[in-house]
Amino acid sequence: MSQLSRTGPLGPGADVDGVEVAFSVWPSDALDRLWRIFTSMRTALVLMLTLATLALIGAVLIQAPAGLQSDAQAYAAWLDALRPKYGGWVPIFDRIGLLSVFQSIWFKAILVGLTTSILACSVNRFRGLWKTAVHPRTRMAGTFYDRAPHSYTLETDVDHTTAVQVARGVLGASRFRTVAEADGDIVHVYADRFRWAPFGTLLAHVSLVSILVGALVGSAFGFRNNELAVTVGTTVDVGGGTGLALLARSFSDSYYTNGAPSDYASDLVLYRDGVEVASKTIRVNEPLEYDGVTFYQSFFGPAALMQVSDAEGAVVYEQGVPLLWASDDEKRRIGQFALVDAGLTVFVVGPASGRVDPTIKAGQMQVEVYQRGAERPSAIEIISQGEPATIGDLSFTFQREQQFTGMIVARDPGVIFVWFGSFLLVGGLFLVFMFPNRRIWAAVRERPDGRSEVRLGATARHDATFGPDFQKLVNDMRLALGQAAN
Amino acid sequence: MFKMSEYSFVAGLLAVALALVCYGIAFASVRVARRRSVLAVAGGLGAEGGPGGATVTVVSRGPGGIATYGTLIAWLALAFVTVSLMFRTIAVGHGPFANMYEFSVAFAWGVLAMYLYFEHRYGQRVLGLIALPVALGLLFYATTIPSTSEPLVPALQNNLLLTTHVAVAIVAYGTFSVAFAAALLYIVQPEGGRRPLPRPEVLDEISYRAVVIGFPFLTLVIVLGAVWAQVAWGSYWSWDPKETASLFTWLLYGAYLHARVVRGWRGKRAAWLLVAGFGATLFTYFGNLFFGGLHSYSGLD
Repeated sequence: MSQLSRTGPLGPGADVDGVEVAFSVWPSDALDRLWRIFTSMRTALVLMLTLATLALIGAVLIQAPAGLQSDAQAYAAWLDALRPKYGGWVPIFDRIGLLSVFQSIWFKAILVGLTTSILACSVNRFRGLWKTAVHPRTRMAGTFYDRAPHSYTLETDVDHTTAVQVARGVLGASRFRTVAEADGDIVHVYADRFRWAPFGTLLAHVSLVSILVGALVGSAFGFRNNELAVTVGTTVDVGGGTGLALLARSFSDSYYTNGAPSDYASDLVLYRDGVEVASKTIRVNEPLEYDGVTFYQSFFGPAALMQVSDAEGAVVYEQGVPLLWASDDEKRRIGQFALVDAGLTVFVVGPASGRVDPTIKAGQMQVEVYQRGAERPSAIEIISQGEPATIGDLSFTFQREQQFTGMIVARDPGVIFVWFGSFLLVGGLFLVFMFPNRRIWAAVRERPDGRSEVRLGATARHDATFGPDFQKLVNDMRLALGQAAN
Repeated sequence: MFKMSEYSFVAGLLAVALALVCYGIAFASVRVARRRSVLAVAGGLGAEGGPGGATVTVVSRGPGGIATYGTLIAWLALAFVTVSLMFRTIAVGHGPFANMYEFSVAFAWGVLAMYLYFEHRYGQRVLGLIALPVALGLLFYATTIPSTSEPLVPALQNNLLLTTHVAVAIVAYGTFSVAFAAALLYIVQPEGGRRPLPRPEVLDEISYRAVVIGFPFLTLVIVLGAVWAQVAWGSYWSWDPKETASLFTWLLYGAYLHARVVRGWRGKRAAWLLVAGFGATLFTYFGNLFFGGLHSYSGLD
């Protein structure tokens, strides 16, 4: 029998403890069948490979940003932008969901299937793992030693009590735990090592469920704004029910001599009910966190400080307007704000940085005023810095240019489950793979001629490095028995 | 420092090539020797095992020598590449993992290191005939791209995560290369094996041991990547193409670990999964060059 073979006569699925013998916890046949499907490794394998296929598609084909599909117009524009790359395939890919694989029903169905499979397998295996660790089968019949993939018989002159002592001593020296049990003229010795390590498999599998739960909790109860833009020197409400307001005291972008960016830094102050609660200079790798809400440095751009007052001279709006978007030709930057009481939406347009615009000169902004719901602007006016311009019965002033800093704001209550799961996953995998559980049985018998016989046997499925270690144990034991005999 | 790094790099590249030549000659002469010995036995010069066996021993003493030199030179190559990376680290002031040139040299280092570990452990030099060309290919690739070091863009300015995230990836990728080499040798053999290639069981075992090391490391790469993404990009997972590709790779190796205990999947089919897994590894590795996304740090634009 080859010591490398892991498919010994016991059969691949069998285990000496009968661990893998299916048991049923369900009353009906149909449920029983379902249980068997979900506890089957083959099912898990098929699900994993299907998920892998989806992941491959998702990596190769450009995927629609999450949430884009809810905006039909933006989605159509996004699809159009793909045409140069995928040509006539775009509508086909779109139709069968290949451009949003991870939002597709298939993806979700497979995740549900895998989760079910993971949980079913874990429940199924727990009993066996527990039994193996806590109540292992400590004695084996003679046929076990005849057929075990690893087996050896030693003969020695010492009496069998000494032989048992020696055997346990050698196993103990290799950090095996031993249990001895007398049965007539035979003493059975059971030895195991890292008996808790197999639970690593369980941890690694359950951890995946924890990660998925984290993702679900995050999307159900989390809050995220990928485009929180704050004009330097101004304060904006963070929103999302956080009750927080954010002041950007300053922003700086620095560059290396080769033109590559070296640093983006925003000096932020956070307020709750007008009281300062936190402040920090955030950078790309150094976000600000307060009360579960985190602010990440993400983007930046120009802004226009605008003031609007009504006919009586009362100020109805005074804020920085981040020019968030670029025009299609990228020559202009566009920002927008709403005058809620007047029922107006106002667009502020300026030249993009470094561009000379024939109509909007430096120190000027173009203001486009829309009545709420209107298709076309009711007024377009170019206004110069510091010079109020009257549009309708409102007076618009472009006070000055400023920078805005753009942040991602997120509150993700699910993230803790994700990190917990990740920790368990890595820990579980290292535990089960780096600390292989090993089990050895020995039967020590005194023969009628007064000599003792030590039979050693081990199965060691799926543990390829066991062979040489078993050989070493046998050699150690032969030496030790020889010494004991002299 | 850059000069020193470059000299050691070239020395490493040459040493890998030379080692590969030694391995090739050694393997070819074992094959020739076997054929001769088979002919000798068939010609009735000796009963089985006797003179035939002796022929093998005598003739293979030569190639045994050159194989030993091969191993020595391969270790030397590893030393050169290590030194090159060390000088580079000193020169640029962070782990040598910040652009495509640095990744490629580091990847080659991982392949060499993991291969030599497995050669040391299992003594199967034939694996080197596949693993060394992988390392050589990566080093050659590194010569075709600019080796200049640009300062780090803001997202990469996290020395701890830059170093651990990529260093752990190098270990994982290295072991997967070894698993790939063993799987390929497994696949090309008929049922029951063909001399002088290692027995299929041995190859299966080497692949498995390699994945057993590589898989937890790949998991760690993804987790560290998620931690970093959370810190720098504000989200632990954003289906960035490189993230997705790494998930694909992870799923393939996960599937392999399960396939080994499913009837009808162990053996050749599992070996094919390893070949696909290595394909996925390379895809993940080179992917950011053509699918864009957030991981655009190659320095090749």
